[in-house]
Amino acid sequence: MSPTASPPPSADASGPPVHVRPARESDVGAIVPLLLRLKRLNEEFDPLLKVRDDAEPHAAEIVRAQLADPKAVVLVAEGSGTDREKVVGFVRASLRERPFYTPQLEGVIVDIYLLPLYRRRGGGEYLLREVTGALKAKGAGVVTAEFPAQNEIAVRFYAKRGFRPVTSIHARPL
Amino acid sequence: MAESAPASPTPSRLPRRRSRSAEAEADRLREGQTEELGRRAVELSRFYAGKIETVPKVPVRSLHDFSLWYTPGVAEVSRAIHRAPELSFELTGRWNTVAIVTDGSRVLGLGDIGPRAALPVMEGKALLFKFLGGVDAIPVPIAVNSPDAFLATAEAIAPAFGGINLEDIASPKCFGILEELAKRVEIPVWHDDQLGTAAATVAGLLNALEVTGRTVREARTVLLGAGAANLATARLLLALGHEPGRLTLVDQHGVLHAERDDVDELSVRHPWKYRLALRTNGGGRSGGLAQAVEGADVVIAASTPVPGTLRPEHVHAMAPHPIVFALANPEPEIWPDVARAAGAAVVATGRSDFANQVNNSLVFPAVFRGVLDARSKGMPDEIVLAAAHELAGGARRKGLTAQHILPTMQESDVFPHVAAAVADAAVRLGLARVRLTHDEFLDRARQRMARPARLVRALARSHLTQPMPRSRPARRPA
Repeated sequence: MSPTASPPPSADASGPPVHVRPARESDVGAIVPLLLRLKRLNEEFDPLLKVRDDAEPHAAEIVRAQLADPKAVVLVAEGSGTDREKVVGFVRASLRERPFYTPQLEGVIVDIYLLPLYRRRGGGEYLLREVTGALKAKGAGVVTAEFPAQNEIAVRFYAKRGFRPVTSIHARPL
Repeated sequence: MAESAPASPTPSRLPRRRSRSAEAEADRLREGQTEELGRRAVELSRFYAGKIETVPKVPVRSLHDFSLWYTPGVAEVSRAIHRAPELSFELTGRWNTVAIVTDGSRVLGLGDIGPRAALPVMEGKALLFKFLGGVDAIPVPIAVNSPDAFLATAEAIAPAFGGINLEDIASPKCFGILEELAKRVEIPVWHDDQLGTAAATVAGLLNALEVTGRTVREARTVLLGAGAANLATARLLLALGHEPGRLTLVDQHGVLHAERDDVDELSVRHPWKYRLALRTNGGGRSGGLAQAVEGADVVIAASTPVPGTLRPEHVHAMAPHPIVFALANPEPEIWPDVARAAGAAVVATGRSDFANQVNNSLVFPAVFRGVLDARSKGMPDEIVLAAAHELAGGARRKGLTAQHILPTMQESDVFPHVAAAVADAAVRLGLARVRLTHDEFLDRARQRMARPARLVRALARSHLTQPMPRSRPARRPA
């Protein structure tokens, strides 16, 4: 349990309740718990997405590496009002080469997460728009998103914004 | 709160003050009594081979009458209903018949014991339905292994019934089943473990607030336990205008709040709890019960019964003149005398041997009497709240005190009023197939609720029900 929960943002807040900006080294500590929340959510959809005990140090390491990687994009969403400067969401994406297909550069959204209180008010859309812009600026000709096949909320979120299934990953434990 | 049968004839309204050893002795006695009651119940179930039967309600003067009640005459009745399906409420017993549907996945405190083992409980429920409400209730325990199969089955049997009472279904699937079934059928659907308990709780709470000079809008309320009953109570309280921010839920993981570690998991597995996590707990509290009760006006505990879950220091930490509902059965989360000694102004439990029993049986027979008399097409929360308000009003008419915030089971003249208020609500909401005045509904409810007791007495007098056999003494080891 988190040591202190935030009060809900004021009910009359209009527009996206968040502000999105590129992540900094100093955000890693705030991003990691959100990243782990997302992975634990994924755990709900398939036993093959069971989160490892050492996920936390890995998360910190990976986020830190991506902050230094020109082929990666990490953005954070900050709250507004009383939650100004509190990191309430993030998105993590990286560029991938497509040696056989065109467009040649794909921007893959690997993680996108917003704390529940900030959802359904345009914050997710804002994160998606910003990350898409950043990927495009890095030369991506297509943007894709990875998430558990059973996550219907994610399916709907992306479908509503023009995404369609292109490839599938099917798994069988060994 | 577990279902409890009508109260013992002389419930004590006196606060109990007992030493710890006396308490332990009382517990042993109660355990002994429960064991004895169980033994006797098995004996009688064998003797009577079940608790209910169907009986014709029309004269059969000779076998010739069969041609009226059955073929060929009955064919015309069928044709009429085929032409106008709503006539099934007029030309058959559908209007007064309720299905008690369960998958046996959470029976009393026994857990997932399956449909066969659930049947004796459903028979008992049918008996209460008839005896208290004049409702013909048919036990329908079903062997299904998914909520979808449950829904399909319940929907498929709906044409035979004027209402559906869902019973003893595990949380959280009970929430989705109730919501979805209510959308699919044009008869009232009720889940007693949610709505019966919640309506009785809300009724008691309205009066407890009144006794202590509070209103729902101002109250800060803690719900301890986030099962079927308390989540329904939360919903009803919000519908009554309780400030969402002033409501805090606490479960086995502590205070429910929007940033709790399991909140994403809840969004997938338990959307009802998830939505409450986002809406409630305005002060941004976290931690456990101790943090939640700080300054609270009301605690409603409907948890897995662990005595001592609520402690005197929790009551001390609440606002002055706090209200404590400890509804776990058989052992409340805190004993009433302990709660009062710690400062509680009003205490309610689920038990008939203390004052202020929060009991489903105060609610479900009257609610079904009301919706059946109005032949209501549904059971929205407005109807449930109408029942709660009327139940609270009934207690007030009899004299409202901290020891009497709810009618007792003996104050049964209140129940037809609850039924009439429910029927009125169905009319007001445009759900009633039968629209009568309040007094007409009240008259019908009185007659229909009084008849079964006469029937049972008459059957006993004429020896059509066998007298209860003497108890055989329990076999004791030599």
